[in-house]
Amino acid sequence: MRTGAAIVLDTLESLGVETVFGYPGGAIMPLYDALYDHRIAHVLVRHEAAAVFAASGFARSTGRPGVCIATSGPGATNLITGIVDAMMDNVPLVALTGQVRTTVMGTDAFQEVDVAAITHQVTKRNIVVRSIEQIEPALRAAFRLATGDRPGPVLVDLPTDVLRAIEAQRIDAATESPAQRERPRADARSLDAAVAALAGAERPLLIVGGGTRWSGATEIFRALAARIGAPIVSTLHGLGCADPGDPAFLGMTGMHGWKRANLAVAKADVLVALGMRFDDRVTGDPAKFAPNAHTIVHADIDRAEFNKVVRAQITLHGDLRETLVALDHRLARVSLPSFEAWRQAACAPQEQLPRDDTRHDHLSATDLLDALFAALPDDAIVATDVGQHQMWAAQRVRASHPQHFLTSGGLGSMGFGLPAAMGAQMAHPGRMVVAIVGDGGFQMSMAELATLRRHELPVKIVLLDNRNLGMVRQWQELFYNGRYSATALPDNPEFTTIARAYGIEARLVDNANAIGPAIVRMLESPGPMLLHCACYPHENVWPIIPAGKGVDDLMEAVPA
Amino acid sequence: MRTVTANDGRILARIIHLAHRFGCTYTSVAARQTGAAYRMEFAFAGPGDALRRLDAQITKLLDDDRETME
Repeated sequence: MRTGAAIVLDTLESLGVETVFGYPGGAIMPLYDALYDHRIAHVLVRHEAAAVFAASGFARSTGRPGVCIATSGPGATNLITGIVDAMMDNVPLVALTGQVRTTVMGTDAFQEVDVAAITHQVTKRNIVVRSIEQIEPALRAAFRLATGDRPGPVLVDLPTDVLRAIEAQRIDAATESPAQRERPRADARSLDAAVAALAGAERPLLIVGGGTRWSGATEIFRALAARIGAPIVSTLHGLGCADPGDPAFLGMTGMHGWKRANLAVAKADVLVALGMRFDDRVTGDPAKFAPNAHTIVHADIDRAEFNKVVRAQITLHGDLRETLVALDHRLARVSLPSFEAWRQAACAPQEQLPRDDTRHDHLSATDLLDALFAALPDDAIVATDVGQHQMWAAQRVRASHPQHFLTSGGLGSMGFGLPAAMGAQMAHPGRMVVAIVGDGGFQMSMAELATLRRHELPVKIVLLDNRNLGMVRQWQELFYNGRYSATALPDNPEFTTIARAYGIEARLVDNANAIGPAIVRMLESPGPMLLHCACYPHENVWPIIPAGKGVDDLMEAVPA
Repeated sequence: MRTVTANDGRILARIIHLAHRFGCTYTSVAARQTGAAYRMEFAFAGPGDALRRLDAQITKLLDDDRETME
């Protein structure tokens, strides 16, 4: 007869789980005891926050649910930022937390916290398991929910006595669990209306968002876009959905998007928004968003997104892949006007991203990223942290698939980059995985160098160290009269020494001439490596549309 | 007034938190257990857009609720 802990692992295995990320502690010890000789691989992180971000990186790079484990109390609360992050970015994630035994729940026992109450608003659902018989159905429901409909995180709280309990008789797989509900399908009338809107358009524009990746719609999106022939822009999470070599692709739109992409949004008369939620970083002031669009078509699996921020005249509620297939079938039967002149006008002139003069005697972060992206193989996976480097990377990345660019978008969680890269590397052991991080975020997850070493994960870390919390510093420069409050980090440690102390190869780059050879050496290194890039401290991200403003307020340099 | 049935009685708390987050208030809330489920009635006041968003979120929560057990 099995323990509850063994049932947890057997169920996870039956659900296809091969790898979990976690950190042990008192209440979860029975599960770790069962893991001791189980086939499921466990990655020991150095902080629970890294476990959930690593599980997120695993999920974002595979489309399959990531699993993280923590003990009760502080272990569970340390997961919360990553859980919210997964909720915001629609990442299928299952978090398993230990809990004090059922007989003392509610008595303020040691390391007791009501994690179900805490995470109630920030998970798709959480489940407190109160008996051994509930374990398997709870886990199956958790995986169904995490992956179904609009994906997201589910937390399963496992009291220690339930994990230690022994089944009275073999508990068979639950058969009464409800099947995953049918995914919604866009109705025919709305699909016809969308086709008619495109047929009558003069300046249509496609905005591709993260829903495209999660519905597995990348290929059909590219086929549909080619059929329509309209220019394409992307949200942060839509990067990789459009072929980066497609001449119709204008790049990322929004606050730090390409000017041409934002101008195209402003000029378009019909906007087709696919799997995106009109985040404020995309729209700026909603009243100024797409001022010339008489028709906005919004396709999404979550009807709660419709008309939340921006009014759509046509809504397509359904699984995005099926929606795009249905649209493609309809468009194959109609003759759309040519949008080539509009596409060429939207793409011209060839735009260079504006950039600061880095005074030639300093290393430019953007120069370095240009060189990095030129050198990376097509199937490389890039994970970023949060801040200036994230936006520079998003402007430049040429991801050939959306699962190749992993970033914390909705929540913007510093400390995400390195553990997310670890998770992706676990999922793709033969692939090049690069973590692009800043000096602020890296110091939130730096202890994970030990995890890289322990598990021989050959993640390449590109640390853009400008000795500042750069994005906040930039906003202080632009919007707070240069009052640099708590953003300077002149006392950063010697990062290469720290990496070497963990047994990680490390190299310092501090001038432009060293960029090329350093990148080559890093990419050829068989193991993990830190490239510490000592960058010009005041390089800004351009362009920028200030928060709550419109494209007319776009800035390309510090005002004179 | 909207009447719903849920397997997870905690949804009521979640809905009330959402309502306040959206700038609405509840004017009436009642709930009772009926068998293994909970029957809830509530009414909210607030801006029209916020009430529509709240209504959509409640529907989504109930959709998810049907897939789980507690």
